[in-house]
Amino acid sequence: MDYDPMVMDDAEALGPVVKISQADSVRVKYELSNADIAFANSLRRVMLAEIPTIAIDLVEISENSSVLADEFIAHRMGLIPLNAEGVESLLYARECDCDGCCEHCSVKLLLHAKCEGDENMPVFARDLVPFGDRINQVVGTPVLSDALRQGSLILKLRPGQEIKLECIAKKGIAKEHAKWAPSAAIGFEYDPHNKLRHIDLWFETDAKTEWPPSDYAEWEEPPQEGEPFDYDAVPNRFYFNVETAGNLPPDTIVSEGIKVLQQKLAGLIHELAEDEGGDGMNGEYNGPRSPEYGTGADGFGGYTTPFGNGGNQSSWGGAGGTTPYGTTPYGAGQSQWS
Amino acid sequence: MPRAKTRKEEPVEAGSDTVMEEAPTSHQPESRDDMSVDQDENDEAGEAEEDEIEEEEEVQRVRLLPGSTPTAASFEFLNEGHTLGNALRYIIMKNPDVEFCAYAIPHPSEAKMNVRIQTFEGTTAIEALEKGLRDVQDLCDVVSDKFIDAREKFVAGASS
Ligand SMILES: [Zn+2]
Repeated sequence: MDYDPMVMDDAEALGPVVKISQADSVRVKYELSNADIAFANSLRRVMLAEIPTIAIDLVEISENSSVLADEFIAHRMGLIPLNAEGVESLLYARECDCDGCCEHCSVKLLLHAKCEGDENMPVFARDLVPFGDRINQVVGTPVLSDALRQGSLILKLRPGQEIKLECIAKKGIAKEHAKWAPSAAIGFEYDPHNKLRHIDLWFETDAKTEWPPSDYAEWEEPPQEGEPFDYDAVPNRFYFNVETAGNLPPDTIVSEGIKVLQQKLAGLIHELAEDEGGDGMNGEYNGPRSPEYGTGADGFGGYTTPFGNGGNQSSWGGAGGTTPYGTTPYGAGQSQWS
Repeated sequence: MPRAKTRKEEPVEAGSDTVMEEAPTSHQPESRDDMSVDQDENDEAGEAEEDEIEEEEEVQRVRLLPGSTPTAASFEFLNEGHTLGNALRYIIMKNPDVEFCAYAIPHPSEAKMNVRIQTFEGTTAIEALEKGLRDVQDLCDVVSDKFIDAREKFVAGASS
């Protein structure tokens, strides 16, 4: 296996290249080149959906005389961006030893506002105050990134109206609920001239005049007049635009995204290595003496349906050496994989 | 106030609603539950909870599908999708000892991803899979380093 997995393009033995064109507190725009679309897309997906952040998950409303319904407000609370810096030190509530929630897996926030003046009173995210024990003073505080440092508007109260609620914010990922997404948006673009024809542009008379060119169009060579279509070409330069919702700095989103991807891989490598030390790929779910086979017909334990190969009654996975698999060198109780 | 507040009459903490602490930690079923359902049915009610905890640590995320041989194997990944599948497929195909590699998500409502690997003589499918995983990891390392470098360069360039 003497090949270099880093070399994405045979013509250029450079490996992936990253160029940043804009970076501030809200967004980072960068170009990833000499990489494959499969990897670039994995990075995009992982940044969108799998970076742990913190968001309000439970709301207990003790007073609500506003015009908005309790559940409506509860939903709005969930979507308020909370600062997720240092969220690594927080546990997932389902993995915490506590009963329900504690300072190791959650942050409690209180919102109490009453309109006592004669004018309508807006209630902002800054009015949300963390209380109780906290793992650190940053994680779980509302994001106040606007000029007035008010945060997002939660609701408005008329004179005499009151809102009082307690929230529990927990760690989570956007795969479970979009409120845990660290990014407001991730721009992902390649091939601005559509040379690869991955996009079929709709047009009335002429696509070229009707579609505005992308910002990145000038970064790449436009197609020559009458240039033949290169059906071997693959995308090679990817333009990312990572915009934060405020909970994590944009460049942290990128590095965290890569980290999550690596953790995913490390977990699988670890599991494969463990399996090899044991009785092969079918694992030890039912103990090493499981009646299941080295073919891994029933890695997940105890299905006895006629379709799951693991059942002794099934037409495929019988326990004796009489099945088509049982007599192979690979299926006799112990796999040859280790 | 137009809206009647029934809660007001009750003591502050003892509303008839579920107490927040008792609410489930997540609305999503935990991933291991998918696997433990069949098991739990056979358990005694009292034991069920304990067993579940034990099972948690043993959830197997990769398994070999039946009909696999050393050089031609299908793997099933739990709780993985296109995020891992496509990058892994690509990098495994880069391995010159691999004859064929593809991935599929057989059904959108099942959190499962299958990878098929067929190798030439000299390596096995499982070795190719492991190598693939490590290669994606290396690729992540490189991109991560390059990004940090680029970021530092950008900051230095902006401040000078
Ligand atoms: Zn806890």
